[in-house]
Amino acid sequence: MFGYAVKRLLQSLFTLFIVVSLVFLLMRLLPVEGYFGDRFQKMSVGEVQASLRKMGLLDPWYLQLGRFYAGVARGDLGVSFIYRRDVPITKIIAPRIPYSAGFGLVAIAIAMTAGLAMGVGMARNKGKLQDRAGTVYIVFVNAVPLAVYLLFVQLYGSSLLHLPILFDKYNIASWILPAVSMSLNGIAFYAMWIRRYMVDELNKDYIKLARAKGLPNRTVMVRHVMRNAYVPMAQYLPAAILATIGGSIYIESLYSIPGMGGLLVDVIQRQDNAMVQALVLIFSSVGIVGLFLGDLLMALLDPRIKLAKGGGAR
Amino acid sequence: MKLPDMKASAAAADAGIDRALFEFAGFDAEAGERGGYSNYSYWRSTLRMFLANKVAVFFLTLLGTLLLFTFIQPLLPGQRSPTTIFNDPATGMQYRNLAPSGRFWFGTNSIGQDLWSRIWSGTRTSLLIGLSVGLAEMLIGIVFGAVWGYVRRLDRVMTEVYNVMDNIPTTVLLMLLAYIMKPGFRTMVLAMCAVGWLGLARFVRNQIVIIRDREYNLASRCLGTPARRIVTRNILPYLVSVIMLQTALSIPGTIGWEVFLTYIGLGLPVSIPSLGNLVNEGRMIMMAPELRYQLLFPTVVLSLITISFYVLGNAFSDASDPRNHV
Amino acid sequence: MTASPAPKAILEVRDLVIKFSLRGRLLSAVRGASLSLSEGETLAIVGESGSGKSVLTKSFIGMLDQNGRVDAGNILFEGADLATFRREEDWLPIRGKKIAMVFQDPMTSLNPLLTVGRQIREVIELHRGLVGKKAEIATVEMLDRVGIIDPEARADQYPHEYSGGMRQRAVIAMAMACRPRVLICDEPTTALDVTIQAQILGLIKALQRDFGFTTIYITHDLGVVANVADKVAVMYAGKIVEIGTTEDIFYDARHPYTWALLSSLPQLGVKGRPLYSISGTPPNLFKEIKGDAFAPRNPRALKIDFEREPPMFEVSPTHRAATWLLDPRAPRVDPPESIRAMRESLRGEII
Repeated sequence: MFGYAVKRLLQSLFTLFIVVSLVFLLMRLLPVEGYFGDRFQKMSVGEVQASLRKMGLLDPWYLQLGRFYAGVARGDLGVSFIYRRDVPITKIIAPRIPYSAGFGLVAIAIAMTAGLAMGVGMARNKGKLQDRAGTVYIVFVNAVPLAVYLLFVQLYGSSLLHLPILFDKYNIASWILPAVSMSLNGIAFYAMWIRRYMVDELNKDYIKLARAKGLPNRTVMVRHVMRNAYVPMAQYLPAAILATIGGSIYIESLYSIPGMGGLLVDVIQRQDNAMVQALVLIFSSVGIVGLFLGDLLMALLDPRIKLAKGGGAR
Repeated sequence: MKLPDMKASAAAADAGIDRALFEFAGFDAEAGERGGYSNYSYWRSTLRMFLANKVAVFFLTLLGTLLLFTFIQPLLPGQRSPTTIFNDPATGMQYRNLAPSGRFWFGTNSIGQDLWSRIWSGTRTSLLIGLSVGLAEMLIGIVFGAVWGYVRRLDRVMTEVYNVMDNIPTTVLLMLLAYIMKPGFRTMVLAMCAVGWLGLARFVRNQIVIIRDREYNLASRCLGTPARRIVTRNILPYLVSVIMLQTALSIPGTIGWEVFLTYIGLGLPVSIPSLGNLVNEGRMIMMAPELRYQLLFPTVVLSLITISFYVLGNAFSDASDPRNHV
Repeated sequence: MTASPAPKAILEVRDLVIKFSLRGRLLSAVRGASLSLSEGETLAIVGESGSGKSVLTKSFIGMLDQNGRVDAGNILFEGADLATFRREEDWLPIRGKKIAMVFQDPMTSLNPLLTVGRQIREVIELHRGLVGKKAEIATVEMLDRVGIIDPEARADQYPHEYSGGMRQRAVIAMAMACRPRVLICDEPTTALDVTIQAQILGLIKALQRDFGFTTIYITHDLGVVANVADKVAVMYAGKIVEIGTTEDIFYDARHPYTWALLSSLPQLGVKGRPLYSISGTPPNLFKEIKGDAFAPRNPRALKIDFEREPPMFEVSPTHRAATWLLDPRAPRVDPPESIRAMRESLRGEII
């Protein structure tokens, strides 16, 4: 187990290195306006060149990359150029982390509990009303774009349920709609997969044997089917984290939550290259850490994995 | 040893049976074969399974009608241009935010354009993006997936590429790519293909690796079946279902991405009507209840299309899975 | 065995009909099967895949798939008619406790996420009411009993740490853990190596001697049948077409299907001649079958075979077969040459 964890950690670090370098280099392809904002129109070519040289942006890419890594090692992600001129990015982002992390974790918790409960209920009543209703929900959430149905959640959630339409950290009622919005997709996701795994499990030979042993259906369900179906679910935790990040960008922006997702939309609209770079890197790192933790959890739950070689593609 | 009660015995069974029946019937080897289940055809079974699914047939009809209408709509008489701004001849003012009426069926938008023709024009644009992305993803995905699955030396490299891309949230990756390139139709298609092909490639690769080494294919190869026949008979039917599913799902996915990219300002220019642009325009005025039709109409059309593709893709994938054919 | 006084019947099946509904159509998997089992006896049910042999035995423990049901007939066991059981509670005191089952593939029969010991203990706790240390001891005892070396350590291992033969032993331990009266073995050795097969059969025999339970083997391996069975039932298209002692079936088979089945034994092949195989395919059970189901594949079928279903004719008190050939009006038909040759070659040998 320990060996596997170390191996998997090294793999994650390697992936992180590649992602960071790649994103950094991609950002170099951007037009240079993003380093100046409105001033760019008024500057002469000479001034622009001088500025760029001063910022080190004309150096060879490997020097820039090296400098960037040195900065990251000191906890320095550079400064914002447009969003809040010359303010260190870490200072801008730090107060926003609790919002994003808080909403993200709450959303995942809601999605997991509600989604698993729903999926288990669907599998146990396969083909009956509950299963059909759940399927309609899953189809709807998967088929209608998030960007569309969340608008209606905001619109009718606020008008019909009299909930605040925008986030206000002093008003707890205003937290409900964004948190629910963030978990809707995850609920469908978890419900769909746990249902599928449970239905698969029900056809396994060892489930038949467990029933042939005389175990009551309830016991078979709880001790064998559900337990076994939960294990592969662990692998979807990271995917759910990634999806939640994706959703949070839109939702934070919709509800004006002062988190990192809304900030990313802001800085993209205002073309602040340095901020975009820093936020993309943070989101990617969260994704990598999420996948790493998911794999570890999986290994803890499934005794067969300890023997497996580990690594490889997911 | 005690045997169960059997009512029938030689004595009781006979009365009234023609003695002539106790003659040999003659043997017909073909009749013996006929008893079984051998009239199986893959595509016929797939079609039958699909048509047996009433929900799927409903959505197939709906989608067919919608698509047909979308593409012939500009040819119909009395249709307006989606980009013309209409003015009231009496006052010279634009027909702003007119509610749906006999004249403007879906009303007008905030600058006096006809929402009805904008919606169909926007649907055409978005479907074009969706179909381009879906087809491109399918091609790239199959080619790369096949190479990935067959050329063992490439496996490590491709797997690493996959791991890297799979670790970044798709939304973030898409935003990054769209941000780096100039906004427009081409950027949108390129960015969506770039994030989408990998999933399908991975899927094709896994299927090829798994199916290639299945016992029945080994057996087939040992019997001297040519590779082409193995691919067309044993591997392709398996892949068809997943490829169709992935492609069908990529269209609603693409439409969703378009809406999202438009929302964050990386979409198509407002001069080109698209579902993303229409939803975004509708969103900006959605707090006024009397103007909500401008959000409602585009989203209803959009949802009908995406739900149809989603349901059809899944129904076809179920129907084409040989394990569901009895 | 024929000379001993008739022991008491433990399981009796009468005219059992089992139907499945598949896509709105009804399939008759078992079409009127009757048999009777005495205590301590070993019955082998043989037949091709799809002949209904598995379905028949699954109905003894109420494990038919959801779309299947007993349509008619009785299953009498310990004074109860299992054919009338519908609710789960009815089955719980029988299933696993009185009638246990061992499945074909030991590789998939054990839950990969629970230790083997835990899976055996589950049965002991449930049916024998033991808990804690006592249940643990009983578990280890059971593992020891089925020939697992170092049972204490092995109990804490997961199925993937066991070999195929050991897993089957563990499955047998599980089935035996609550001393059932009837053990059903659904092709218990098909998935195993030949050398392991003999060990497993030997183990079941030894356990049967010690505990005195009745065994039902489902198999299409006539070699297994000859080795272990007292009595054989031949099934075809959902019917028992011939039933008798092992000697009856091997030496004096009467049904053309039994002949065909025996003729296809590789051991009976004559060097230089192609191995016999039964031509044609079994009938489609969705359709109503008229007459003898085997008639279309039987080169010696009579006209009446296509018209009327043959009743069970009694050959001897232990031996019955459902074929019109046994009717006094039927022409004399001798078993095929290979069967006669087998009789010659087996004569004097102990099967």
